Amino acid sequence: MSALGLMLEARGIPTVVVGLIRLHMEKVKVPRGLWVPFELGRPLGEPEDAAFQTRVLRAALGLFATARAPSTIVDFAEEAPGRLPLPGWRPAVTLAPGLALADEIRALAPAQAAHVQRRRRSTVGLTGLAPADWAGHLTAGLSGALPASPRPGLSPAQLLKFCADDLKAFYSEAAQSDGARPSSRQVDDWFWNETTAGRTLQAIRKAALASDQAGLKAVGGNLIVPGARVVAG
Amino acid sequence: MARLDDINPATRQRLIDLDCPSFDIQPFVDGPPLDRRKVAIVSSAALIGRGELPFLPGAADFRTVPNDRPASDILMSHISVNFDRHGWVRDPNLVLPRDRLAELAAEGAIGGVADTHFTVMGSTDPREMTATADAIAAGLKAEGVTAALLLPV
Repeated sequence: MSALGLMLEARGIPTVVVGLIRLHMEKVKVPRGLWVPFELGRPLGEPEDAAFQTRVLRAALGLFATARAPSTIVDFAEEAPGRLPLPGWRPAVTLAPGLALADEIRALAPAQAAHVQRRRRSTVGLTGLAPADWAGHLTAGLSGALPASPRPGLSPAQLLKFCADDLKAFYSEAAQSDGARPSSRQVDDWFWNETTAGRTLQAIRKAALASDQAGLKAVGGNLIVPGARVVAG
Repeated sequence: MARLDDINPATRQRLIDLDCPSFDIQPFVDGPPLDRRKVAIVSSAALIGRGELPFLPGAADFRTVPNDRPASDILMSHISVNFDRHGWVRDPNLVLPRDRLAELAAEGAIGGVADTHFTVMGSTDPREMTATADAIAAGLKAEGVTAALLLPV
């Protein structure tokens, strides 16, 4: 965003960049920048904390008044409290061990519905597929024999990637459906260490990397499992 | 957490090595006082409307996010798996702070909020986005935006 900000400023638009990577802001020499010490993916710092978010915005927008010269980069002083683990947190739903993927998805459905009820939205829906169809598409990735994509504009490998994203969002919504505020690491630990879905995505990654299909290999290698969660071997 | 030392080693090295473009220019556009500025968000989260085709790897185009589009109709299609989305699951304002901007406008801290926000695929090399920058700038000017708030993920 640093570069795009400078490109917009060069086209006559006053900009302020909120930056997560200070090094990039410095390299590009953003016109006005607020570096924030937050987790990647959280530019406003703290979910469900309007006061915290507003402080970030006031600091960023305030640079329109205080910055006097190009490449003014200011550091936001506050850490986001949600970076710390919530003591004793467990997901809102308890899964029986050893469930097949399709059964696990079904078991989480009531909790995911509770999330939608509580927060009035869902982040699931990139593929347009129903959750009941996910397990079939994902496990096809294990064999490398991906079915034709039912979604115009998405290749089978791209559908697999977005199906994995929908799956992760569904599990995240179910796990956080009781309104508790766990850290991202806690939710990730549960998903990648304790669920059939997490184990399935790890297996898909390995199968995709071994595939001779370039599209599947690229998706599997980089776009299914976060680098921090890759299981070696 | 986005201190480089806090990021897992593979992602950290990729971020350090990222070939950021350098520019010979240092533009700095003036504007009215903040309480008279109209603010628009430009997000790198590759946001789409529900039912739209996701951004794909290497996409250099942009989409618009109407300020009045319900949060329930906004999805994130960024291809990277190396940033947190659990916060986005809980609160759209973490990435697209439309409610917070509306509150700042209501109290008079900013002049107003644009009817349209913009979003791109943040993993695409910005050097491929010249036409997109032209189009976004034109859209911002057409709405009289005097403060573009660029938000990464």
